[in-house]
Amino acid sequence: MYGSPSWQRLAPLLILLALGAVLPPLLPQYFLYLGNVLMMYAVLALGLDLLLGWAGQFAFAHIAFFGVGAYATVLLQTRLGIPFAAAMPLAAILAALIGMLIALPATRLRAVYLALATFAFAEGAQWVFNAWDRVTGGADGLRIPAPNLFGYPLGTDPRAFPVMAVVLALVIAGTLYLTSSKFGRSLCAIRDSEHAAAASGIDVRKTKVIVFAISAAYAGIAGGMFTMYQSFVNPETFGFAQIVLVLSMIVVGGLGTLPGTLIGVVLLGLLPEVMRTAMRSLLVWQELVYGVILILAMMYMPRGLWGTFFRRRVRP
Amino acid sequence: MVDFSLVLQATASGVVTGCVYALIALSLVIVYKSTDVINFAGGEVVMVGGYLGMVGLLYLGLPYALIFLFSAALTFALGAAFDRLVLNKVLGRAVPGQSILVAMVIATVGLSYAMKGSVRVFPYTEDVRRLPPLFTGEPIFIGSVVLQPQDLAIVGIAVLVMLALWAFFALTITGKALRATSQNPRAAALVGIPVRTMRMTMWGLASAVSAVAGILLAPKLLMTPDMGVIVILAFAAAIIGGFASLPGCIVGGIVLGVIQNLAGLFLTSSAISVAPFLVIMLILTLRPQGLFGGRVVAKKV
Repeated sequence: MYGSPSWQRLAPLLILLALGAVLPPLLPQYFLYLGNVLMMYAVLALGLDLLLGWAGQFAFAHIAFFGVGAYATVLLQTRLGIPFAAAMPLAAILAALIGMLIALPATRLRAVYLALATFAFAEGAQWVFNAWDRVTGGADGLRIPAPNLFGYPLGTDPRAFPVMAVVLALVIAGTLYLTSSKFGRSLCAIRDSEHAAAASGIDVRKTKVIVFAISAAYAGIAGGMFTMYQSFVNPETFGFAQIVLVLSMIVVGGLGTLPGTLIGVVLLGLLPEVMRTAMRSLLVWQELVYGVILILAMMYMPRGLWGTFFRRRVRP
Repeated sequence: MVDFSLVLQATASGVVTGCVYALIALSLVIVYKSTDVINFAGGEVVMVGGYLGMVGLLYLGLPYALIFLFSAALTFALGAAFDRLVLNKVLGRAVPGQSILVAMVIATVGLSYAMKGSVRVFPYTEDVRRLPPLFTGEPIFIGSVVLQPQDLAIVGIAVLVMLALWAFFALTITGKALRATSQNPRAAALVGIPVRTMRMTMWGLASAVSAVAGILLAPKLLMTPDMGVIVILAFAAAIIGGFASLPGCIVGGIVLGVIQNLAGLFLTSSAISVAPFLVIMLILTLRPQGLFGGRVVAKKV
């Protein structure tokens, strides 16, 4: 059965919206900052999960689209004077278009080659952010002016928080619609067997290109969210470590499951903060601990946390 | 117009670095062919190999010739243990409907963080170091090209390792069993080849080759726990060669070394760092089977 998601599945989003409205005056700024970071990662991770968890396409290019989204949102405002409310969607569309361009050749490739080609694309994009310094500010980075949303200035954690919550709620709702639609079923069919999917009348190539574009748009939106609460962007933000973090979030949480993805985002997103406070004097061990956690998660929780504890198969 | 002797010089040093890329690429391809894993920890094995060499040379007082064996033996054990303890388990827990490649790759990324992390834990590695040159002596002139004795030693040792690998795979019965395992594990198991042990051996062997590359790099590069990023060059080299052919990736490594140096000479020096990404994307878009690979044959169902 597919169609629209039931209202029971959409209802929790109201809680998210309510929290977005209520929390800012109640929480200290640091917690609001963490919340913003997690909401941004949630959008990034949901986008990657569509591509990897649902469509089974192992690609590393996601972080490059995140960068495109962040830089484009800023540059459209500062260079062309486009208001934020238009700049952010335009940046997401730009990311989607680039994603489509990448997907056209990339979807012909088999698993390993797709991973390597998109890995090279991500590294190349980071090089462009570094080298194109007249536009991106190069390694020195770019100052982000506080965005203005219909007269409501963002740019600080408490002010960005409610808007971030609205964006995340919209993205989650969109994901629920996508994954419960016929399109979502086509993605699973492609993941499980491209030949079988093609035989049952799914245009595999077209579906793959579309999901690449949608996933890139998610990353572009996350880039726009980045500019809502950060004041500075530089190429370091879009490195290999970031894509590994997002990848670990969805794999540790549970591929192809929305609650799993969100759990992974919260756990791995908070991990560096927890380690920073719990291991104050042992900061140098952080990398080692993170590596060991990844290895152990792959060894003992192949279905991710959600799949392990709820014994739910990845949705057919 | 660039001076022709400069071009020759750049080509010669490109061949030298290319030989090292080729060794690392060999290690990646051996792992990929035998276990279907892209080893994202490949660069960190090189790094650990280099540091182990340094420990052997500077602290244990081993002679230069022995540190290759010392470092190779330890990284062999490390690679074999990773396959046995981790990948074996990951493989055994495959989930239907989910590519095992993803889990394997993340496990290797975990390994790369763990290795970087464990090297960084030693306060000793906060300082940037490098190994003393392998050989010292007067530079050698071939026509207008100047080569350091160390560069010749790098090429010599790399070629020696490649020949040894070839002899091992082509002439010994164990080598044949290893090849059989990577071509068709199920059939190999049927004729009585211990497939698990073979996979382990391949991981060990590949890691040992990387360690040799690490020691060869150590006098030329600055050593830091982050020097593993060099693996991207080896990926490019392997892809030039089709990612499944051992001779292909040797040629790929040398071609890449030369391309990089010529790009630095004719374009800008920042072209050196972007060359590998461009090479990977161009080749995968235009000729995914590599410059030397044959027809793409679908593997398994």
